Amino acid sequence: MISYGRLLGELATIALVLLAGVYATVVIDLWAGRMVARAPVRAFRALTFPIRQTALFLLQQRATTERPDAPLWALAPALLAAIAAASLLVIPFSSQTSAAGIESGIVYFGALMALVMIAVYLNGWSANSVFPIIGGYRFIAEALSYEMPLALVLIGAALPAQSLSVSAIVISQDSLWNVIRQPLGLPIYLIAGLGVAFWGPLALPDAADLAGGTESELSGVQLLLWRTARIAVLVAVAAMGAAVFLGGWTGPWLPGAVWMTLKTIALIFIMVGAGHLVARVRLERFVLVAWTVLIPLALLDVFAAGAVVLAGSPR
Amino acid sequence: MLTALGGSLIIAFVAGGLTLGLRSLGGLLTPPRTTAPERVPFLGGLGPETHAWSRFHVRYYAMALLFLAFDMEMVFMYPWAVVFLREGMKAMVEMLMFIVILTLGILYAWRERALRWS
Amino acid sequence: MAGARVEVVLGQRPGILKRLAAMAPVRVFAISGSESAEIETLIADLELEQEIVLTDSPRSANVLLAMGEFPGSMQESARRIHDQLCGPRRTLWLRQNVSAPSEAIFPKAIREDTHCDLALLLRKIHRDLLTGVEPSEEPILPDEEPALWRGVGPYGQGGTGMTGGVPYGRPMPETAPDRDGLALDQLSVRVGPFFRPFPSGLTLALKLQGDVIQEAAVAENPFDAKKLNPDFESGDPFIRALSEPVPVVEMEMARARHHLHWLCNALQVHGLGALGLRTRAIARSLSPGMIAPIAQLRKILRYSRSVSLVGAGVGVIQPDKIRDRGLGPVARAAGLREDLRMTDPAYQELGFEPVVHAENDVRSRLWQRLDEAMQSVTLAARSGNATSGGGGRVEGPRGVITLDGNSLPLLLGLLPDLLYGLEWGDAVATVVSLDLDLRDVRSQRVS
Repeated sequence: MISYGRLLGELATIALVLLAGVYATVVIDLWAGRMVARAPVRAFRALTFPIRQTALFLLQQRATTERPDAPLWALAPALLAAIAAASLLVIPFSSQTSAAGIESGIVYFGALMALVMIAVYLNGWSANSVFPIIGGYRFIAEALSYEMPLALVLIGAALPAQSLSVSAIVISQDSLWNVIRQPLGLPIYLIAGLGVAFWGPLALPDAADLAGGTESELSGVQLLLWRTARIAVLVAVAAMGAAVFLGGWTGPWLPGAVWMTLKTIALIFIMVGAGHLVARVRLERFVLVAWTVLIPLALLDVFAAGAVVLAGSPR
Repeated sequence: MLTALGGSLIIAFVAGGLTLGLRSLGGLLTPPRTTAPERVPFLGGLGPETHAWSRFHVRYYAMALLFLAFDMEMVFMYPWAVVFLREGMKAMVEMLMFIVILTLGILYAWRERALRWS
Repeated sequence: MAGARVEVVLGQRPGILKRLAAMAPVRVFAISGSESAEIETLIADLELEQEIVLTDSPRSANVLLAMGEFPGSMQESARRIHDQLCGPRRTLWLRQNVSAPSEAIFPKAIREDTHCDLALLLRKIHRDLLTGVEPSEEPILPDEEPALWRGVGPYGQGGTGMTGGVPYGRPMPETAPDRDGLALDQLSVRVGPFFRPFPSGLTLALKLQGDVIQEAAVAENPFDAKKLNPDFESGDPFIRALSEPVPVVEMEMARARHHLHWLCNALQVHGLGALGLRTRAIARSLSPGMIAPIAQLRKILRYSRSVSLVGAGVGVIQPDKIRDRGLGPVARAAGLREDLRMTDPAYQELGFEPVVHAENDVRSRLWQRLDEAMQSVTLAARSGNATSGGGGRVEGPRGVITLDGNSLPLLLGLLPDLLYGLEWGDAVATVVSLDLDLRDVRSQRVS
């Protein structure tokens, strides 16, 4: 159960986390890109980039196409933003704000992340244009492939906690973080997470080889909202990863929320950096690797985690 | 008081509503354009010959079916994770048997080339 | 008019939002007709600017950068692209000789010659446009629906169901048999001539089922050799080497730069824009013997496994089709030891051995050009005053150039078979890997 006052607090926290997270991610991405390119970064310009870009997109016209599916087109970024915001409800940023009464946090998270597929598909479908549609169908193949590994590694993390609640999983890492206890977990989670946010090597639906794919008919405020919502998903994925694999709010000296923020930013940095260093994977290759390598490895992760738990239990 | 699910629904609606509101605001600042050539979908300069909406050939349908089987498995695994420690070795062995059978399914699909399509 | 209404709305809204938008990075969609080497350098420099973004689609761009002269068959497409830019929009038309007579493709465009400071100019255009000093350009094409409205029903779908009529004047896709034995919709699309991953001017007429290409045909090359600017190739050492000896160092540096610029484009298509920029910067400051930055780039690509992620097993050509046809890097990436430099005394003295890769796919073409760039830089450092050429046949960066022509028609002829049955992304990767340039009709003009 959750009170209205609590709900307001949660709303404010989520809005703050998402806006700050998106802002930071955009700046980190820009900075990392210039670093990889060995090009000079002008710090002030990089820091103000999100504001200026937002202003430009607000003043740019929104594209329409011949007979688009207008309601669904409007709905796509709204759905993606709703997914990102709602998923943050179960991610505890400190021991006090932990998990608003949703006991099966990772089930809830997995269910929301499955809906990303719908949002991306809607965005591709509704413009009635070839490149976005191909992008949309591409993403379905991609999503069906990363879905399993994502859910499996989260289950692996739930085994030592004996609970599906994210707070319980954080508490269960008091002695040892899951990233060490289950070494396969975090890498697989991050790969799947790149898929959820269709980012970097797994940015298949909006790739350059489709002239932007699902983004190719977007402009102005529509593009702004779509990209913001997508980065918000990335932030949510990183926050969940920090809670489940990096011990969440636990850490010495600093307050829990600070630890959680640092760990989330570290994961964002890894994912964004991978985007600049690893080329976009071919779709077929990803599907094949996901089913023949990632899923078996994720299953191995679950059973290895189970074996460790059993061996360590007092019986 | 709200149920947790109600709370999450409210948060989702607020986020979605804000997005739609901003979209309308952008539409007010700069109204979407209207002439016919400006609406032509982008294909690199040439106009389309047909509508893009079509009965798209989803060539990975076999993989999608495989996914359904595994998605059901997930439904069993969530409660299994909670009772795992209580049930001990029995839970471990039972799930292992189940997974081995499913993994054989992947191997079969792989051999039948269900995971590639071009 | 929509544009006028925008102006009114923007005009009423002075202040912070407009000023911030004016300071945002300039979003540019670039289209090029016949280009000179000068313009190519300009665009390469442009990409290195932090505050200029080249977009993949015209929708989200504010400035259309048109470069060079556009042959007749590309003009309609250029205008359509202009109209697809979402306002406020402005066109900058760069031409080698700005006072030369031209057709009014973009009536309101700002015209400049190639000596301008492009980045500065683009920023000024963007600023004036967003603050409302300059009005947004009106659409060029007439406001006519593609066909008469013939639909009935709320979505104009004609009869019943999705395929029952002619909504918006465009037919629904036709049905065609598939190799799975099913009858399914087949999308007929023509992609190009300004599709960014493709070389400018390349138009492919494709039949797609799902994301797989069932049929591909190459449209006629819009660049007619006769109409090109006579100054066009004066700086190209490979063309000069057809008729006179040219220093080896000059040719090898040009080859290395060519391959690096190609690599930059390929990396951008494969989602590695930042590494592409790094390649661009290396190409710009390249000097003989400067091998370390390229080697480092190679290391990154090897450790991240990027090259095999995008190209392993993609776009394999039957070696018989490319044997002894003078296809240069494409042939050498198929394991064929073919290089005119092997028989050239100047190169023999340098101990030249061609680089060869065996896999014959997109991956090996990437490695091939990267390794050839490193080899060329090394050769250039060792070559001293050696000269080569004058025999009417030269090993250019895209293969053999002779007085009568080059490898372009051959490579274009390979495309239909090569693209058949490929997934869309693989097809684009394959086209990119062949390093086509439809404007590369230079050698055909020399005779």
